[in-house]
Amino acid sequence: MKKNLARIVLTGVFILFAIWFIYPTYRDNQLNKELATKTGQDSVDFITNYGDKLKKSREDRIKLGLDLKGGMYVVLDVDVIKFLEDIAKKKDDILIGILGELKEQTKTTDLPIIDLLVTKLNSRGLTLKSYYGGDRDDAKAVEKKLNDEIDNAIDIAVRVVRTRVDQYGVAEPQLQKIGNKRIIVELPGVNNPDEVRKLLQGTALLQFQLLKDPAITYKVMQSINKVLAGDTTQVSSNDTLKSNSLAGTKETIKKDTTKITKKDTANLKSDKKEKSKTDTKKDTTKSKKDTVKNKDTSAINTDTASAQDSIANMSIEERKKKFPFFMLVKLYEGGGADGYVEENDKPQVDFILKRADVKAVIPSDMVFLWSQKTIDIEGKKYFILYGIKKDAELTGKVVEEAKSTIDPQTNSPVVTMGMSSEGAREWARITGANINKRCAIVLDGIVYSAPVIKSKITGGSSQIEGMANIQEAKLLEIVLKAGALPAPLKIIEERSIGPSLGEDSINKGLTSSMGALLLVALFMIVYYKFGGGVADFALLINVLFVVGVMAAFKATLTLPGIAGLILTLGMAVDTNVLIFERIREEQNSGKPLRTCIDIGYKKAFSAIIDSHLTSVITGIILYQFGTGPIQGFALTLLIGIVVNLFSAIVITHFIFDILIEKGKQISFG
Amino acid sequence: MRILHNTNIDFLGKRKIFYIVSVSIIIIGMILLYLKPIPLGIDFLGGTELQVKFANDVNIGEIRDIMDKNDFPGMEIKSMGGPKFVLLRTPLQGEGQTVSDKIISVLKTNFPDNTFSVERIDKVGPKIGAELRTKALFAVVFSLLGILIYLAFRFQLIYAFGAVIALFHDVLITVSAVAIFDALIPSLKLELNQTMLAAFLTLIGFSANDTVIIFDRIRENIKLFKNEDIQTVMNKSVNATLSRTVITSGTVFLTVLVLFIFGGEVLRGFSFTFGIGIITGTYSSVFVASSIVVDWKNRVHDKFTIKGKTKLSTAK
Repeated sequence: MKKNLARIVLTGVFILFAIWFIYPTYRDNQLNKELATKTGQDSVDFITNYGDKLKKSREDRIKLGLDLKGGMYVVLDVDVIKFLEDIAKKKDDILIGILGELKEQTKTTDLPIIDLLVTKLNSRGLTLKSYYGGDRDDAKAVEKKLNDEIDNAIDIAVRVVRTRVDQYGVAEPQLQKIGNKRIIVELPGVNNPDEVRKLLQGTALLQFQLLKDPAITYKVMQSINKVLAGDTTQVSSNDTLKSNSLAGTKETIKKDTTKITKKDTANLKSDKKEKSKTDTKKDTTKSKKDTVKNKDTSAINTDTASAQDSIANMSIEERKKKFPFFMLVKLYEGGGADGYVEENDKPQVDFILKRADVKAVIPSDMVFLWSQKTIDIEGKKYFILYGIKKDAELTGKVVEEAKSTIDPQTNSPVVTMGMSSEGAREWARITGANINKRCAIVLDGIVYSAPVIKSKITGGSSQIEGMANIQEAKLLEIVLKAGALPAPLKIIEERSIGPSLGEDSINKGLTSSMGALLLVALFMIVYYKFGGGVADFALLINVLFVVGVMAAFKATLTLPGIAGLILTLGMAVDTNVLIFERIREEQNSGKPLRTCIDIGYKKAFSAIIDSHLTSVITGIILYQFGTGPIQGFALTLLIGIVVNLFSAIVITHFIFDILIEKGKQISFG
Repeated sequence: MRILHNTNIDFLGKRKIFYIVSVSIIIIGMILLYLKPIPLGIDFLGGTELQVKFANDVNIGEIRDIMDKNDFPGMEIKSMGGPKFVLLRTPLQGEGQTVSDKIISVLKTNFPDNTFSVERIDKVGPKIGAELRTKALFAVVFSLLGILIYLAFRFQLIYAFGAVIALFHDVLITVSAVAIFDALIPSLKLELNQTMLAAFLTLIGFSANDTVIIFDRIRENIKLFKNEDIQTVMNKSVNATLSRTVITSGTVFLTVLVLFIFGGEVLRGFSFTFGIGIITGTYSSVFVASSIVVDWKNRVHDKFTIKGKTKLSTAK
């Protein structure tokens, strides 16, 4: 009896523990159910009153995996290649070529990138330090420094992503750094995959870059045009923007000038008057000469005199041949050297700008960047191509504050930014020195706006506009506040589950579990009679314990996890069967019941241990090599096996002992 | 109530038949696998997979035509448990989300009146796919190895080998069976993915379970029946444990059946494979594992002696 007392107490304690750990899950369910029935003020009151309880229950409950709750699972990979490209001291074609090769290679292998890079460089007779170090540094030191920088970048990336995710407002997000260049992000309950992708992948590199002088931009465009047209003559210095107005088609300018105005307003005061309809004839360049009639299609003159050579007289094919670039990139009177490109033509222009011969005529301090949005002109959508100074005047590092809001004047979403005091000083200097010039606000290489600097700005404040809606603005705010990613991140694996599928899975899981439990319990009673009944009781406690252990470890329940639970039910039966069959065998030899039971347990023990341990081995391996839901399965299986050992051997045994002492005749069928 | 009680079947005497049966199934399976391999899920292949639920019934053929015309030739499209549910899969995964977005927009433009919700999107890059494949292989190899080592400690090395060969045989037969059923009943939509891997590993564990129970009894009986030859002892042991083996396998099979019927699409592949695994596992434990041990012993003539246990004559 003493032996049994210990066992009873132990079991009792475990049961209490199990209930204690499971209770929060139950309470969470109940509270949420109640909350769902309340509306309006009632629900607000409810949350205020039960706020703490709600929070605690949520934290302590069993977590549902993404496949049961819905949400997103994303694996981010740090784009080390791009990082290497960005930090190289010297960026020549050889390096770009090698990095391109590496990019292809690393798509399928996971070898250390620096080693591959060194090999490739050495095979061409180059060293790492020619691109990443000083002449005085020795090769090994450069390699180590580079590796350190990469590690550092990855850690910063993890931090930035964590901040962004935290601010995004997902309940219980999970972030994990895996290996040394991957980040796993789990966002339960999220059902806007696009937003999340933007949130996680955008490098958020904010730069304030001045536009190039429109005259120069125009010259470059002409050079490009000539390259495309196969024309090898030089661009004459007489070709100035002011002497050429419309290029290309028949569109009128009226409509777009007002739209430019709207788009380019910022805290920087822009002079609307200058861009109003009545002034279409004036250029936005410093020239005051009035040149062209806007309504007709005027020519691109190669000399100021022959303005009669209107493009309108050429056929479309001739135009395309002579001015291929300007057929795609249209300039407008009053639009400076901003190129308007139809939405459908954008990929082609991108392609053109990437051509080696085209790149050769673009000055090294200049870059062409696209606008973030399209504007409507006569029913067609146009992107704007800007000619921009490559070097940024100021970067997002100086931005300390960001807030998304609706601009009261324009009623459109904007993000206002506040700078550090250093940044404010710089900004004042820059704006002071560039009055009437345009400054582009560039995020991740895309121009959000390019307003004219009307006056010196001393407050250190600035504004980004051009977002489609307030959600986009909010994303931008989060991303600006969290900081820029030192290296770009790529999503290499993504799984999104909608919430309805999750609910569906839960239901199916629960039905199956109950069905299986019922069947098994029934069989045990039918086959092993009373003994079977006791086994069933132990089975229920088994389930309680498994769930309790999971709650205690705050493990996550997944759909395969539920399958694992069901499986352990089957295996639990196995243990009982082993024992009961032995008991039956002993009963055949006519021994007293109590002895039979004891012998049965003893003899079956070795088999039980061995068989359970082999299952444990495969369970552990499955946990090691599986991911996500599979690990959930392995976990429930392992917990189930261990718990089962206890309940089948200890619990049923002492129950039998007690009953026999009380004189009950137990039948094993 | 008793099932299979006091049987006296000469399992080991008939072992040649069982060898032939096993080998035949495996050969058929391997041929089938060669001709029509079981498709790899995107877990192992990489790719994009969308599960879409339409408001109204849709015609798979129609969707297939539309996809063919829109840069997705030969995309895999299946219905998933109802005429409103569609599963689309392509091995492409472009940068970021371009592929899934394109698929969604193609569906939107071509089915303007039939609203749909995207229930699940899975995107796996090729690097991850390759990694998971390697991991899967290692997982299977390591489990077999782990079990081999553990059993070598608890029993003799030869028993460990016998058990592991039986396990390996189980994996092969299950794979063959999956191939056969995949060919016969394509609507089962079997494919190799992570859940299937879980099924295989679980069945390895389960079959080992079975085999160990029988070996345990053999170990016990060898001590008891010192004067009998190994084959008789084994037969006795297998017969004695037969009832228990069948019952356990039966109950686990029952739970898996419930899972198969009610568990939903995600677990269907798992429950099917594991169900087959239970059957072959039981079969291999009863018919194959001990047979291998006997034949080895006969051949090698007690080269491996038992640790301090009685030697047995190997006379037939």
